[in-house]
Amino acid sequence: MAYVAKRVLTTIPVLFILSVMVFSLIHLIPGDPAQVILGQDATPAALAALRAKLGLNENILAQYWNWLGHVVVGNLGNSLLDGESVSHLIFQRLPVTLELAIGTFIIALLIAFPLGILAAVYRGRWLDGTALFTATIGISVPPFWLGILLLLLFTVKIHLFPSSGYVPIWQNPGRNLSVMILPMLSTGFREAAVLMRMLRSTILEVLHEDYVRTAKAKGLNGWAIIVHHALRNALIPVMTMGGLQLAGLLGGLVITETIFSLPGFGSLLVQSVFSRDYTTVQGAALVAALAVILVNLIVDVLYGVVDPRIRLGKKAS
Amino acid sequence: MAMLEPSTEQPQTVLRAAPSAHRRRWHTLRKNRALVGGGSIVFVILFAAVFANELAPYSPNAQNYSAILQGITWQHWLGTDNLGRDTLARVLMGARTSMEVTLGAALVGLVIGVPVGIISGFYRGFLDDWLIMRIVDAIQSFPFLILALVLAAMLGPGIRNAMIAIGIGYIPVFVRTVRGQMIAESEKEYVLAARMTGARDWRIMFLHIFPNITTPLIVQVTLAAAGGIVAEASLSYLGLGAQPPTASWGSMLQVAQGYLNSAPLLAIVPGVCLVIAVLGFNLLGDGIQKLWDPKRTD
Amino acid sequence: MKTKHAKLAVALTTMVSLAAITACGNSGGAGSSNQGGNANQNSTSATPSGSTQTLNIGLSADPPTLDPALSSALVDRQVMFNLYDTLFQLEPNNTIGADLVQSYQISNGGKTYTFHLHPGVTFTDGTPFDAAAVKFNLQRDMAPASARHSSLSLIQAIETPDSATVVIHLKQPFSPLLAILAGRAGMMVSPAAVQKEGSNFASQPVGTGPFEFKDRVKGDHITLIRNPHYWNGEPKLAQVTYKIFTDPNVELANLESGAVQMIDTVPPQQLASMQSNANYTVVNKVGLGYQGFYLNVSQPPFNNPYLRQAVNLAINRQTLVNVVVKGEAQPGYSPFSSASPVYNAQEDTPPPVDAAKVKQLLQQGGKPNGFSFTMQAANSPITLQMVQIIQSMLSQFGIKMKIDQLEFGTLLANNENHAFQASQLGWSGRLDPDQDIYSFFVSGGPLNASNYSNSQVDHLLNLAREQTNMADRAITYAKVMDLLHKDAPYVFLFHQNNTFAYSNQVQGFQYYSDGVIRVDGLSLQ
Repeated sequence: MAYVAKRVLTTIPVLFILSVMVFSLIHLIPGDPAQVILGQDATPAALAALRAKLGLNENILAQYWNWLGHVVVGNLGNSLLDGESVSHLIFQRLPVTLELAIGTFIIALLIAFPLGILAAVYRGRWLDGTALFTATIGISVPPFWLGILLLLLFTVKIHLFPSSGYVPIWQNPGRNLSVMILPMLSTGFREAAVLMRMLRSTILEVLHEDYVRTAKAKGLNGWAIIVHHALRNALIPVMTMGGLQLAGLLGGLVITETIFSLPGFGSLLVQSVFSRDYTTVQGAALVAALAVILVNLIVDVLYGVVDPRIRLGKKAS
Repeated sequence: MAMLEPSTEQPQTVLRAAPSAHRRRWHTLRKNRALVGGGSIVFVILFAAVFANELAPYSPNAQNYSAILQGITWQHWLGTDNLGRDTLARVLMGARTSMEVTLGAALVGLVIGVPVGIISGFYRGFLDDWLIMRIVDAIQSFPFLILALVLAAMLGPGIRNAMIAIGIGYIPVFVRTVRGQMIAESEKEYVLAARMTGARDWRIMFLHIFPNITTPLIVQVTLAAAGGIVAEASLSYLGLGAQPPTASWGSMLQVAQGYLNSAPLLAIVPGVCLVIAVLGFNLLGDGIQKLWDPKRTD
Repeated sequence: MKTKHAKLAVALTTMVSLAAITACGNSGGAGSSNQGGNANQNSTSATPSGSTQTLNIGLSADPPTLDPALSSALVDRQVMFNLYDTLFQLEPNNTIGADLVQSYQISNGGKTYTFHLHPGVTFTDGTPFDAAAVKFNLQRDMAPASARHSSLSLIQAIETPDSATVVIHLKQPFSPLLAILAGRAGMMVSPAAVQKEGSNFASQPVGTGPFEFKDRVKGDHITLIRNPHYWNGEPKLAQVTYKIFTDPNVELANLESGAVQMIDTVPPQQLASMQSNANYTVVNKVGLGYQGFYLNVSQPPFNNPYLRQAVNLAINRQTLVNVVVKGEAQPGYSPFSSASPVYNAQEDTPPPVDAAKVKQLLQQGGKPNGFSFTMQAANSPITLQMVQIIQSMLSQFGIKMKIDQLEFGTLLANNENHAFQASQLGWSGRLDPDQDIYSFFVSGGPLNASNYSNSQVDHLLNLAREQTNMADRAITYAKVMDLLHKDAPYVFLFHQNNTFAYSNQVQGFQYYSDGVIRVDGLSLQ
């Protein structure tokens, strides 16, 4: 319990520091943000109005305090482009990204589980070698290039899937999947490679543990051991690593959504960057970081709860 | 990107090893295929980056409107792009852009990350636990590419800012690696001995301990470089990294996406370079790791 | 903020990046139906062989709205011109003919227009089309929130002496009015439907046109069905489905697979092979628009006229056309292409690149070794390709051009604020030449991104608005062009072609210079 308490407690300074960092983003813009946003011919009145809107007139502490007060209640400010609420903009885009992330994990699990188990069981044999080699390549193939290759193959060459035209899954599940499958594959492949390597080494480790050796000695056959002992125990660390993967995955989704022109969170961020819509960029960055912190917290807490062997000091962070 | 994650598990595993004898290292070197393969690839990439101008058959920015979107020909071994620029020349130049950004970023990350990690790991305590490591946590909570994207957006597009943005993304990994090693080493006898002789803290930190922790750091830098290559390509693909006409594998892929039908070669060549470079650095990292810690063969 | 957005909306309507042009062709245009006449024969009797025929048309972008008052994308017109009739219409020979307005008189020195409406027309929801409906529509378009606001801003008052007559009073003579009323500002929507649907009107649009709205799935398709009571004769096709393809190569593949019979754009690199394929007809005609870039005359380095001229003369337009659009365009040096009624070959032919002259201009401008500037451009691949060629051409003279890639909306906002050094942005073109030049170069004009001001130009542009004879206007515009060539606030590059391709099953296709496909006359074999 002490572990859980400490884990939750250490999140508080992280959140505080995160808020300071995200808040400071707008001040990273070289020069006067209002001037940069409005351009050199902006009238003094327009500049003053925008400064007031961005709260740039007050002292920096008051600005931070105001901003934080709004953020805490879910108000991320308004888009500089059309005045729409940033939280609403992000909220609108989340289902696409969520679906993509879930699909990516499903694909990763579907590939990684059989391969990881087989590789561990046939350790050192050609199957293991092939799986490991594929995983090494898989980890080195950037998802966005894989996405372009999949587009080339399945959309341009054999017209199997459309290259665009996203519809929400609740409107037309078939069409939705036909649009989403390629992006899911392009991010899923890499996640599968990472997961497979982790799964393999965790299973190998578990196979060396005493209780598994005992089971073996008792005459249980290999597959029963894998299923009953190794796999169950291997799941926890794999789940933990899965949580850690989220940050990498979110980053990868930004560019995958751009390639496949999906109206998700990532393409919103990219669009906002090119629109110089700094408040939306700021809001999106905050939401992405919060998602990562939250998921890792949940995973870590679960880990501590599920696995009593966890030692307080063992976690690096 | 996710390339950087091994850091979270590495420190513990790395500690297990004690540096082994030279003889044994040379023996394992020959069997260490990852090191040999990765090292060769990295050498070739660095060679191409340094001598891009000398190796390139054409200027990478020379537009030839009578040779647009060509396939493999005698004049253009890897074809040409939508402005008639030689793809071979551009991927060579792309190697330079990629290495410039990645190594520059590594430098940024090291210059900040190493001292912070050393101090944090040496003194520990409140500062380490409640401030430095929490800042590191906060930076790490940004998905690497999103952090780079946001910073590039605020600082403005371009190679230099991409370098800074990626470098900041590296900091958490470097701090964690150095700190973890620092903690482990400071218990060792040679450190205690140095303390007894009354050496100053900074001497102990930088002259006694630091040289002993460079190998795991090199492993991390190598693995981070693999992530940096992808990050640079991603930023350039989005138009926030290398600015036209500068060649980058990422911006080449962006152009290629418009011609998948008529010139698929344009999408394949820079992508293959990208994969080979990432693979090379990943293998090299694994190889150095194995060399350092032969017990950990799996 | 509000007015700013309204202005932005106007800019969006009309301005178009190169990519968008490729996608959407040109703007302006008029209703559907037969030649300007008002023949009513064979309306119900003829159930042509195609009574159950469905035509599928590929569109290269999803129309954002089907409400003519709000429409700010060119592709909207492909659908809207078949849903709505216009007061006047563009004829195939580029003149303006009658549509819902049967006849008209101009009086009071060009300041009063009297329209006599076509009798017996009803909207597809049963609402009668009459003078009150016209007044309702014009007032709706004149509202500040409408994207049509600026093109109707010279209207002072609208009177409806009887149900078939509309009298429009202008603040000053304005010869482009009829052409404007042949475009989106002249599209008549059902007042009853607007009142009933409110802001939802765009998803349940009602007009008097040859087709009625049936359904739409955003990003996928829009379906129209025949208006059986169409006043100008029942259309031959039973149904038209517009399918959306954001990748022009995919769009072409769908034409080849037979999923669509007609596409609104042909990827430049595929044009030659399509033209030689006997199963398809390819239309490839110069449009009314132009591509080019603004030079901001109110800040360095382009407050220096010599440097503007140097850039203007350093670009080889023919090469640009060959590389960027594979010859699907005409090199240009003015806003008026050969499709324009005021086309002037001499003014529109770009001078050959003269290196000695460029160097001399740089010398005169005090920058003999060149200078640096930043060009902002939309972040679309084709735009990027074009500006990189310009970058390379200028670099031969030591002129270093940096490229700043921006989202389209941000680029427009920067243009409006004159917050750039050079800005790549084209114009989709309009039926009336005034709409292609006035707002861009008159002092303080809403689209005058260059911040250019020349009292002689102002005088001539206003003079042209009062001249009713097109030949006179052509002479006036030629004088304007002489001045613009000297001052170079905008570097004209080329006039892009409209390209369509259709299967030989499609019968009765008629090309209009605005690039909009009129479905009414079409049938399938």
